[in-house]
Amino acid sequence: MRRGAILSLVAIGLIVGAAVTAVAVLVDWLPEQASKERERIDFVFWFTTAICIAIFALVAAVMLYAVVKFRARPDDDSDGRPIHGHTGLEIAWTAVPAVLVTGIAIVSTVALAQNDRSSGTPMSIEVTARQFAWSFKYLDEQDLTSTTLRLPVDQPVKLTLKASDVIHSFWVKEFGQKQDAVPGMVTTLRITPTKVGRFSVICTELCGLGHAFMRSKAVVMERAQYEQWISEQRQALNGSPGQAGKAVFAQNSCGGCHTFTPAGSKSEVGPNLDRLAAQAKGPGQPLEQFVRESIVKPDAYVERGFSADLMPETYDQLPKDQLDALVQYLTSPASPKKSKKEGR
Amino acid sequence: MRTEEPWVSSTELSPAGRKAPGWRRALAPGWLRVPWMTALFFGIGLGIVVGIRALAGWDPVWDWRAITTVATLTTAPIGFLAGIGAFDYWVRYAIGSPTAPEDHSSHGAYSWRDYFRVNTDHKVIGIQYVSTTIFFFLAGGLLAMMVRAELAQPGTQFFDSQTYNGLFSVHASLMIFLFVIPAFAGLANYVIPLMIGAPDMAFPRLNALSFWLLPIAGIMMLSSFLVPGGAFGAGWTGYAPLSVVGTDGNIFFNMGVQWAGASSIMTALNFLVTIITMRAPGMTFWRMPLLVWANFTTSLLVVVATPFIAGSQFFVLFDRVMHTNFFLPGDGGYTLAYQHIFWFYSHPAVYIMMLPGFGIASEVISVMARKPIFGYRLMALSLMAILVLGFSVWAHHMFVSGMATYLRVPMMITTLLIAVPTGIKVFSWLATLWEGKLNLSTPMLWALGFVSMFVIGGLSGIYLGAVPIDIAVSDTYFVVAHIHYVLLGGSLFTIFAGIYYWFPKMTGRQYSERLGKTHFWLTFVGFNLTFFPMHLIGVQGMPRRVADYDPQFGDWNLFISISSFLLGASFIVFVYNMIVSWARGPAAEANPWRAMTLEWQVSSPPPIFNFDEIPQVVGNPYEYGVPGARHALLNGDQAAVEERERVRAR
Repeated sequence: MRRGAILSLVAIGLIVGAAVTAVAVLVDWLPEQASKERERIDFVFWFTTAICIAIFALVAAVMLYAVVKFRARPDDDSDGRPIHGHTGLEIAWTAVPAVLVTGIAIVSTVALAQNDRSSGTPMSIEVTARQFAWSFKYLDEQDLTSTTLRLPVDQPVKLTLKASDVIHSFWVKEFGQKQDAVPGMVTTLRITPTKVGRFSVICTELCGLGHAFMRSKAVVMERAQYEQWISEQRQALNGSPGQAGKAVFAQNSCGGCHTFTPAGSKSEVGPNLDRLAAQAKGPGQPLEQFVRESIVKPDAYVERGFSADLMPETYDQLPKDQLDALVQYLTSPASPKKSKKEGR
Repeated sequence: MRTEEPWVSSTELSPAGRKAPGWRRALAPGWLRVPWMTALFFGIGLGIVVGIRALAGWDPVWDWRAITTVATLTTAPIGFLAGIGAFDYWVRYAIGSPTAPEDHSSHGAYSWRDYFRVNTDHKVIGIQYVSTTIFFFLAGGLLAMMVRAELAQPGTQFFDSQTYNGLFSVHASLMIFLFVIPAFAGLANYVIPLMIGAPDMAFPRLNALSFWLLPIAGIMMLSSFLVPGGAFGAGWTGYAPLSVVGTDGNIFFNMGVQWAGASSIMTALNFLVTIITMRAPGMTFWRMPLLVWANFTTSLLVVVATPFIAGSQFFVLFDRVMHTNFFLPGDGGYTLAYQHIFWFYSHPAVYIMMLPGFGIASEVISVMARKPIFGYRLMALSLMAILVLGFSVWAHHMFVSGMATYLRVPMMITTLLIAVPTGIKVFSWLATLWEGKLNLSTPMLWALGFVSMFVIGGLSGIYLGAVPIDIAVSDTYFVVAHIHYVLLGGSLFTIFAGIYYWFPKMTGRQYSERLGKTHFWLTFVGFNLTFFPMHLIGVQGMPRRVADYDPQFGDWNLFISISSFLLGASFIVFVYNMIVSWARGPAAEANPWRAMTLEWQVSSPPPIFNFDEIPQVVGNPYEYGVPGARHALLNGDQAAVEERERVRAR
């Protein structure tokens, strides 16, 4: 190969490499880093990117040079130089990529091993995924449940994921980590949030018609605020039965589907809970028994105008005291507007 | 005059008319027999289901799910095949009645009608394959346009969730099972017997049957939109349990895959036997063109891997229709088993969709660069390396699935190692260009476009192979970008390289070079504008398979949708060029590319049995620029053969 060709190749390679590097650096590629795991992932990302830019620049240089330099003139019917191979080159382009991918494999393995471990004792949260909602149970906090994920900053968390119908996948892009929730299995995911803020929890495994809307929030708070939130929730649960029931109602987002005037909810996806007394006459059960059964076994009796399978069957996992509080809240005659509504 | 038709080779004339008189025509193989045979076999399937249920006293007797599975999707297609005449010879043989004497009446095509008959000529079958797959490519492309229309804005505009999920699921299924895989099989069907100096494939009737399974599979997948409840919407991956509990359209996917898979396996067996047993004298393995090597390896992959996807789909079907519990956890099923079985096929399937393209690229680049392919043996061996490694990487699709965590690192290592043989191929193509005399004709543009796009697809594959990055970007648009760079920039570009390269041979006409280049540049630009930004929005966090998304991705999605319409429009140029050139293009020379491989040494289109005399292979297929080198000696070269023998005897 002539020296001129090598110089041209290097020049084109540097130009292409610089252009691609500019795209890599100037465009804001990665989401905000809000966890230690995301930082490690991003390191592997940039490590791989550097290698890929080099390879791409090399290929582009040879390709561009060849297309411009070796293009045959229209009247040129001759053949090229019959080069059949070059053992040295062939060994080189077998060995060098092998070394590069080994490097990527090692860096990845180290990052993976670190991301699989929590530094310090993690707090445990059980994540239940169902079509098309998330619920988070704080195992260290008397099984307090919430539909938003609230985390104290800089505290390692171990999520155990369960799915009650089909496969879902938990992802907060700012945390980086992702894990499928699989029916019949328990999977785990470790996260150490490093930034205070509100992030989106999305489902990234196609789970049916509402897949795109299976979203929740992850709220990372200062330790003190988090403690305060926890104690408020606890207090509500341990407070008067009505207060506890109201908290359970809110924590499980019952109002997301049901109208219930005492809680101020107006959704019409499921039956109107202001009319529970009338509905109980359908199966002819006592009100309290009817409400309890409708929560834990929603398809035992389905109100006319609504379809079975609409309500998740996961509320049988509510702790007994919370269930009791919820039933009492829903059946309590203390809701003043209830009788008025029933009259309609 | 028939001899003026472009598809009639000059040495052959039409055989005598085969039409029987009057009503008996409805008994002869063909389209008149199709309707009543299909109906008859549908009735048989229906009778089996209803009969068994009535006898066993099961309620309901008319179980439409079982009837659809057995009668509509199994026996009726068999009736169609019987009607069109795919089984006539075998049935006669099996029942001991005299088989029709082989008059070669099912060889060659003398009018357009011959392409709609069971034809055992590999050249006709090749064209049937390519045309059918282009039809399904256009259908799948239209579905993609609808997907992009929906995604142009955040929120839902045109389609509800069920329809949208059906659109992208059927799009991917058609593109994979009815376009990329069979399009390569079709091109190879036409070219491979010619390249190895054989008169036809080893099993011509099996070859015909494997073609006729394709339209069945394609129509089955498309018609799932007509099922009450909607088309299958669990993606082309059809993960259980969603595919078990989803709409009954899933049955159409489960069974469509069986028909397409059976077609694939039959063709692969045919290629293997043909390549092993029917090479011309002197055509050793190390003298085979790389396309033959590529299809040999691909066929091994197909034969070993395809039964796994058949199994996975049968299990899903059984879970739904027969109430078994392969994947439903409540009753002892194991959900992740589906993914393991599915990907044990579907990862090798990626190579089934790539290796023939590697072969086409090698043919085109060597001829158009007027140089021997660089490192021929290493090129062939790297195909074999990909074949072997390809079976050991399936779980890299499952890094976030919850499978055993210790599997991740070994699977990452094998995955990354595949970059080595793939890199060898890319560098060897580049080295083949070096100091060549590049003819930047349309096929060469597609081949070079393939190399550059495939490099991008390969590099994004490295990101996905590295477990930590994969955990972050899995199931996002980064994956969508990656597979489209591999399957569109890779497979589709080489399919077009192949179609343009062999168009003169297949049709005897020359396509319009100007339109071909226009098509290339429109597709190339439209493709990059459409799919490159998907890397960005994927890394930034846009999940795949959603009709609605975070408004932060709105601008890019609008840009991508507009680009995708440009990409879609570029194929109008292609279709126009193909139709007009086939009908009215200038006659093609026997060897317009001055290529050495055997298919170019016969007329365009080739004689009915390819070679008037069996060629004698004497050298390597890519000896461009080597003074006096020959790949083969054909008709009239007998003196040269004898001279060689004499020299050798001395």
